[in-house]
Amino acid sequence: MPRALAVTCKVICLLLIGVVGSLLSEKNDLQFLVLTFSVQFKSVTLGLLPLQAEPIRVVVTGAAGQIAYSLLFSIAKGDVFGKDQPIILILLDIPPMLPVLDGVVMELQDCALPLLREVIPTDKVEVGFKDIDAAILVGSMPRKEGMERKDLLKANVAIFKTQGQALDKYAKKTVKVLVVGNPANTNCLIASKSAPSIPKENFSCLTRLDHNRACSQVAMRCGVSSDKVKNVIIWGNHSSTQYPDVHHAKVNLSGSEVSAYDAVKNDAWLRGDFISTVQLRGAAVIKARKLSSAMSAAKAICDHMRDIWFGTKEGEFISMGVYAAGNSYGIPEDLIYSFPIQIKNKTWKVVDGLPINDFSRAKMDATAAELVEERDTAMDFLSQ
Amino acid sequence: MVTGAAGQIAYSLLFSIAKGDVFGKDQPIILLLLDITPMLPVLEGVVMELQDCALPLLREVIATDKEEVAFKDLDAAILVGSMPRKEGMERKDLLKANVAIFRSQGAALDKYAKKTVHVLVVGNPANTNCLIAAKSAPSIPKENFSCLTRLDHNRACSQVAMRCGVPATHVKNVIIWGNHSSTQYPDVHHCKVSMSSGELACFDAVKDDSWLKGDFIATVQQRGAAVIKARKLSSAMSAAKAICDHMRDIWSGTPKGEFISMGVYSTGNPYGVPEDLIYSFPVQIKDKAWKIVDSLAINDFSKSKMDATAAELMEERDTALAFLAA
Repeated sequence: MPRALAVTCKVICLLLIGVVGSLLSEKNDLQFLVLTFSVQFKSVTLGLLPLQAEPIRVVVTGAAGQIAYSLLFSIAKGDVFGKDQPIILILLDIPPMLPVLDGVVMELQDCALPLLREVIPTDKVEVGFKDIDAAILVGSMPRKEGMERKDLLKANVAIFKTQGQALDKYAKKTVKVLVVGNPANTNCLIASKSAPSIPKENFSCLTRLDHNRACSQVAMRCGVSSDKVKNVIIWGNHSSTQYPDVHHAKVNLSGSEVSAYDAVKNDAWLRGDFISTVQLRGAAVIKARKLSSAMSAAKAICDHMRDIWFGTKEGEFISMGVYAAGNSYGIPEDLIYSFPIQIKNKTWKVVDGLPINDFSRAKMDATAAELVEERDTAMDFLSQ
Repeated sequence: MVTGAAGQIAYSLLFSIAKGDVFGKDQPIILLLLDITPMLPVLEGVVMELQDCALPLLREVIATDKEEVAFKDLDAAILVGSMPRKEGMERKDLLKANVAIFRSQGAALDKYAKKTVHVLVVGNPANTNCLIAAKSAPSIPKENFSCLTRLDHNRACSQVAMRCGVPATHVKNVIIWGNHSSTQYPDVHHCKVSMSSGELACFDAVKDDSWLKGDFIATVQQRGAAVIKARKLSSAMSAAKAICDHMRDIWSGTPKGEFISMGVYSTGNPYGVPEDLIYSFPVQIKDKAWKIVDSLAINDFSKSKMDATAAELMEERDTALAFLAA
């Protein structure tokens, strides 16, 4: 009812504007009136339908798997790209998984989500990557209990070379690529090198899960909710050599902002068990659940992609694996390395000038060394 | 509190609850997770993940296998836990085992939960499990118990929407009558579809009466089995979405002029459905209280389908009550 009333008022106003306009103009009165009215009537009619943006195309690989199952719903609901952004969701997986993918498509339909324009299941990269705006590369060998990160390396080089080439060939050049499948940093580097026509800055890998885990550990220690902890940093590789650094983190305690070290009041924990807890959390979850940490990974993916799309808050930074060339922290070039990042206009920038003490330096170097080794092994596989 | 908290549906559901999608963006939550003792290690993993999600509304997560802990002072209970449905398994296979589960949980609600608790039963056979729980919790009003038919409701909306080429939110006032089983009756005689030309009655929008009276009904009735066949697993994602919709509508009410489907206590209903059943009706909700939408015209086609699903529910109830007395 209120809508009809508003529309009627709108029509009357526009009619009046048209009449006044025609009176003031020097053109033929009647012609002008008809012209302006018809143009305005069209805009009124369009105003009856909810005004929405053009849909964006988003591909998720490994779409039949655990992490995607937790993730796709959040994307389709609007939690990542915004409540007014319609989405065409492309689900890519290997041929044996196509029947499972059909089940996922059925479920997404059954969720009755308004933003989901279309769901396209496929096993073909030329369909999967065509004209896409965002790619979330989840698919890789799943991590099982006891499996080391390096076990995954060889098989994954093949996967990410193919996908990098497909991005190069089919995706929009503005595509934002988030690599999740482990080993994430090295897979991201391989994909980026296989897509030379897409800027290296468009590629990133997920360390937001580790970042969220670190925030949560500090928050629980301080007895606050995790949104009261900010500016935690994850340096380096999304592996057990990652360095969760809280030297620049802040905790909001009863309204006043305190440095993390002062809030926690336990330096030994922050330099010891806190770090190892975050580093080994993935393995701990697998041990308990017998499955990978899909729910929290999906949440971190949403956070990462949403921050790329909408930017980070003033004064706050988050962690992302990005291309290390040109960094001011003495990290070797030609790596995908996790840094503290701020984002604006879909562009990230490493937060410069943070003081680094000897403790941090040693840890940052250790994880860089692992990444250099992974890269060199991977590049060998790549050139074969 | 969520039962079956270590399982598939809960895994999809807990995140949405903790995020604020159900009880509101300003409502902090203490989440209680109940499952059977062998699942406690898995439950610990779920607790870790919920912490790692860094969600501001989640005040506390308590994992337990004890009813006296899980049901204490509850405001809302979502009873997901029951025997999981596998490929080929019939609904009635689950009945006997579930009577034992829901009698115990009904008694626990009666003993420990707030008297204002809202209970949503999901575990199948949902309607009969809900009835058993309600009968085992005599000090809690029967109106506080409901079972999930929102998934079928959402599926029906989605089928009509795809047929008409509109988003699913443009389809409203679909009704699911009866049992959350293959005898459910998806009824679109009162459904409206928002097309670009305006709001149309569903039959006028779809322009295919034989589909609406035939394949459409069969598709919705058997969708659960179709998803299991494809995924080899139950439809956790869409079930979790439907649970959120159902509980959110209880908490915040339904929009004016719109009704949704819920399994509720049938005693006093205006449609001649037998009393003493949990039967899915069209309902409107205000101030956390539901009311069956009355005065909807029911033709012969609808009446026979409504009776068939009622008959199945009476048979399930009588079998269950026999188990209850045993």
